[in-house]
Amino acid sequence: MSWTDRIPGAVLIAVGALIGLEATGFDVAFLTDPVGPKALPLVAAVGLVLAGAQQARRPFVGMRWPERATLVRMGLGSAALIVYGLALPWLGFLLSTTAVVAALSHLFGAAPKRSVPAALALTVALWIVFVRVLALPLPVGDLWMR
Amino acid sequence: MDALSSLAGGFAIALQPLNLSLAFGGVLVGTLVGMLPGVGPINAIAILLPVIFVTGLPPESALILLAGIYYGSQYGCSISSILLNVPGESSSLMTALDGYAMTREGRSGPALATAAIASFVGGTLSIFALVLLAPLLSQWAIDFGPAEYFALVVFAFTALSTLSGTSAVKGLASTAFGLWLATVGLDPQSAVPRYTFGQIQLLDGMDFVVVTIGLFAVSEVLQLLEEGPVGKTGRLAYGRVLMSMRELRETTATMLRASGLGFVIGTLPGAGSTIASFLAYTAEQRIAGRTGRFGYGDIRGVAAPEAANNAAATGAMIPMLTLGVPGGGTTAVMLGALLGLGITPGPLLIQEEPDLFWGLAASMYVGNVFLLVLNLPLVGVFVRALALPRWFLMPAVTALAFVSVYAVNGTALDLVLMTVFGVVGWGMRKLEFPLAPVVLGLVLGPLMEKNLRRSLALSGGDWGVLFDSPIAIALWVLALASLAAPVVIRRMTTPPTPEGS
Repeated sequence: MSWTDRIPGAVLIAVGALIGLEATGFDVAFLTDPVGPKALPLVAAVGLVLAGAQQARRPFVGMRWPERATLVRMGLGSAALIVYGLALPWLGFLLSTTAVVAALSHLFGAAPKRSVPAALALTVALWIVFVRVLALPLPVGDLWMR
Repeated sequence: MDALSSLAGGFAIALQPLNLSLAFGGVLVGTLVGMLPGVGPINAIAILLPVIFVTGLPPESALILLAGIYYGSQYGCSISSILLNVPGESSSLMTALDGYAMTREGRSGPALATAAIASFVGGTLSIFALVLLAPLLSQWAIDFGPAEYFALVVFAFTALSTLSGTSAVKGLASTAFGLWLATVGLDPQSAVPRYTFGQIQLLDGMDFVVVTIGLFAVSEVLQLLEEGPVGKTGRLAYGRVLMSMRELRETTATMLRASGLGFVIGTLPGAGSTIASFLAYTAEQRIAGRTGRFGYGDIRGVAAPEAANNAAATGAMIPMLTLGVPGGGTTAVMLGALLGLGITPGPLLIQEEPDLFWGLAASMYVGNVFLLVLNLPLVGVFVRALALPRWFLMPAVTALAFVSVYAVNGTALDLVLMTVFGVVGWGMRKLEFPLAPVVLGLVLGPLMEKNLRRSLALSGGDWGVLFDSPIAIALWVLALASLAAPVVIRRMTTPPTPEGS
């Protein structure tokens, strides 16, 4: 066991403390009940701090960090999803969904010549289901609307 | 026979053409989605929920669709456990033991048929029990005041925290995290903004679909990315999906016992399908004694957990519908879905919305029948979908989840938050923090807070009011007892080893 095993417990304590600190500022001029809006956040904060303390005292040692290449792959996967969220209203559904599905397929080990056509087919299928069948609007893309 | 005539009325609703086709479609789509590796009922419901919200169906129809998805996804889990040994949820872990062993012996056809028939038996018997018990329980619960509700929610939290993971401390930490998420947004009573960090969208609070899909589905994708590109496809031969009369005779008693056990356990908070299937499996293993080949492809090893987990899934609906307090992750998601549809379950539900309650009960029967008639002939189609490569399936599920959430709320912030929750969920899985208590905390947090504040307002700040009635005291005792439950359960479930004990 090394000191890094105590990090999760420390993080829990820190998060709980921050939540509790913030909760003490929830003041209202006129209280309709004796405890007010602070009560539940404080319960959650105390729970996190206590669990964190216990966790730091008897840490979990089974955790195995993935290798660097794996972490990079997972980081790229998460980044692709965040970029997708930000780009969707701007680039539109068809382009950004094709791109993100192809990117994820690639991270799962597919060659571009298979992943891109598959991504395009899936995107068109989703568009038909959502826009045509369910009549839910999907963004066309602000970029093309100018 | 008041219940039976009400149920007949329910059938009149469930058998309307629209509702019938929704039940059918729900079972079909649920099976397809639930079958995907790593996607269990929680994921399937959460991913398809936004679509249900916006289709503008009347509440009872939406509920019928939801129930179909729920049952379908559970059976879908069994398919992937039996054929691929990748259970989508912990409740199918036990099915995978003997189911996959049967597949390796070339008996996957009978295994799949047993799973379908056992699920059907467990489901139908327990719906009958639900119809009889739910009205009684809601009669009794009508006298619950805020103090009783507060104690009940605490009981649900302690039970799930101690039973859902490896350690009670981690479960409580997950619950506390969920409770905190529940406080994000405008406080409904004083209109004070809490933890919104200046984001206007957060004033409405954390969208529970965003949290659930992030924690469960996105983190699953990250976990699969971690495992790398090598997906397990395996041999997907399945043969004729039938069981022989002899196999049916052999398993009848098992199915009946497991259904009863599963139903009782399902109604308890925290326990749910996973523990029901564990207990039913080990009980059958003991009953079989030396005659059993449990762990090596004993057909009773498939029948027991399947009947038990389906019965438990139905049993778990009772506290959710009649008290408004779910006892586990899946029913917490169902409750979130109901609230999203504008339905507040509780003791008054059966009286005030009889169409909805009895329509749902009847459509559960219908859904179970569909499950049986759909799955036996269509397993071939499902298996072919399962054989699609992982590099296509996982991005496809992700895209479906993102698009359905975006199509409903139309905010990019939701998609970013979902990804953040995905990373958090991955870390929690790594450190063995259970995910279900987070969802339960998020869904029940507002109920807990409202009842705490209401009871203290009524008593003028005297905390003694929380322990004032016999029912409240009994619930507090149960909450304390549930903290000791893991020790007892562990003793009862220790030998799921492949050997008749």
